[in-house]
Amino acid sequence: MDSFNDIKELILALKREENLISEMFGKRKSLDYKLSYALELVDYDEDRIDFLIQRSVIRENAGLLELDDQYLEFFEQVLDVNEEINLSYIDENIKNIGENIDYFLNENNENRKHNYLRFIKKTFRKIGITTLRSVVDLRRNIENTFKNEPNYKNKQLKLENLDEKRTLIKNLINQTLSLINEEQLTFFKTSLDEELNRIIIDLKHQLGECSHNLIEIEKQIIDYLNQIKHQGKFLEKLRKLKYLKDHFTIQAETDIKQILSQTHPVIFERRQGEPLNLSLDFLREKERAFEAIKRVANKHRNRKLFKPELADVISDEFLEDNIEEEIMINLEELRNHFLATSDNLFHFIANYDFLKEVDFSERVTIFCQVISLYDQELIIENDFQTTNGVEHAMVYPK
Amino acid sequence: MALNMQWSIQNKDMISKYTSEIFEILRRGQFICSNSPDENIQRLYRILEDEDVFSDLHEYFNQINYVLEHGNEYFYFSRFEKNVDLDRKLNKAFGWIDILDFLKTFDSSFDVGFRFTPSEIVNQLKNNADLKTKLDNLKKIGADKRNYSDRIKKIIERLERDNFVALENEMSETYKVLTSFNYLKDLITTINIPEEIEDEIPE
Repeated sequence: MDSFNDIKELILALKREENLISEMFGKRKSLDYKLSYALELVDYDEDRIDFLIQRSVIRENAGLLELDDQYLEFFEQVLDVNEEINLSYIDENIKNIGENIDYFLNENNENRKHNYLRFIKKTFRKIGITTLRSVVDLRRNIENTFKNEPNYKNKQLKLENLDEKRTLIKNLINQTLSLINEEQLTFFKTSLDEELNRIIIDLKHQLGECSHNLIEIEKQIIDYLNQIKHQGKFLEKLRKLKYLKDHFTIQAETDIKQILSQTHPVIFERRQGEPLNLSLDFLREKERAFEAIKRVANKHRNRKLFKPELADVISDEFLEDNIEEEIMINLEELRNHFLATSDNLFHFIANYDFLKEVDFSERVTIFCQVISLYDQELIIENDFQTTNGVEHAMVYPK
Repeated sequence: MALNMQWSIQNKDMISKYTSEIFEILRRGQFICSNSPDENIQRLYRILEDEDVFSDLHEYFNQINYVLEHGNEYFYFSRFEKNVDLDRKLNKAFGWIDILDFLKTFDSSFDVGFRFTPSEIVNQLKNNADLKTKLDNLKKIGADKRNYSDRIKKIIERLERDNFVALENEMSETYKVLTSFNYLKDLITTINIPEEIEDEIPE
């Protein structure tokens, strides 16, 4: 593995591949940045990617590329977008300061003393910035977790963990302050460095700000956790009620009846129309009413008017008495006459005088009628005769 | 003193101006919510929020047997005497429990201020078997509808009719959960399950 020879070379290399690196940094959350995508950004020159891989700026794994953790972390920290809050830095810095103060106090050589002091000043400055940044990160992370974490239990756990981080930061601030105010009094009294004093004042100011922020964050976390707890409790209650309801025991097991009968909100009521009558005065006098009537009447225009259809007067002609005469054949009489003869029935009817025109087929019908009506009084013989093409039985009076 | 009197006259004017509007809404069992997308209702809420106006109107509606109630960010009417039989109330409450359970399965953060579209719920039906079972069990609502999206719409319509959600954006079909949702939550919270029963319910 090669490494860059100097900072110039590093910056040059980064500058040359700025497109690729900024693209990869932007997509650092999605895990599959393919080598083929990268090739497009370096004009299909694989050597340029190999150069970066050799110097551990990026790593290749089965056709996928990712930025090396060292660079990723550096970019995230510098650009203020890191999601992990790493507190070990501060912890380490505090230790380093303690050690360097000891070295400083033991050292007699002015030059080396100055070096130690420089390191101490640098570290103090760093502590201030890192702490402040951690606090800002913490706040952002808490808000993100509360708003975006879909899993209920994880949300609670993450918030609790972030709360622990908050306590850690608080402890680190206290440690730093006790280092300045109590533990290393000799150093601060003896070093008499103008710049150090200024840095310490700045640091105290920053730490003060952090403390205030932390108090606010603590409130926020407690509020969020309470909300989650409240919501969780509510969900549980709802689930239990639903269970009881589905098992038809909710009325017997809970006080739901009592609760519902205590109050009478209108929302439970059936919505009723109000069959109010219009004021007659209003209809008669107000212009608005007239408008409304006209409008309604318009709507009804299509509707057919149902006029009752009256029949004409019955003319007097129909009411006058009309006499129509019709000669009816009296079968009874016909029988009587027949019984008095000894003729056969067909011949009798064929020659009977009906006082009106009766044709042959009608006479045949009458023949049948007489037989069916008075068969008891007739003798129907098993003897047939044909008259005018009609075959008929011979029928005699009894 | 003079100023004070003038103010109270103004106050009275305002009451008469909005009283009928307020009455018309609340009488239908609707709520006046602070976060309603309807600006008119928001204005009515702000008017009712004034303690003097509230107590005046409370007094006023009392005389016609309506009790103006102030809930958590919403107003509604209740009555002194019983106008509805218990069965109807129970049925309605059961319906709410079913719907609430369904919606909380859809999204556990379904609460006041939550925004959703019917298609989001329909989409989740595809990969949430629990939600689907619950919808199948909601037989009373939209049983005549064949497809899921119509049934979801029916459920939302029911909520909208009871004034717990309101259409915020017609184009995107986005609904918003109103503060009256607190009423449902409070109702659920007030119901008491005795401890020994609670222990019998499986996790």
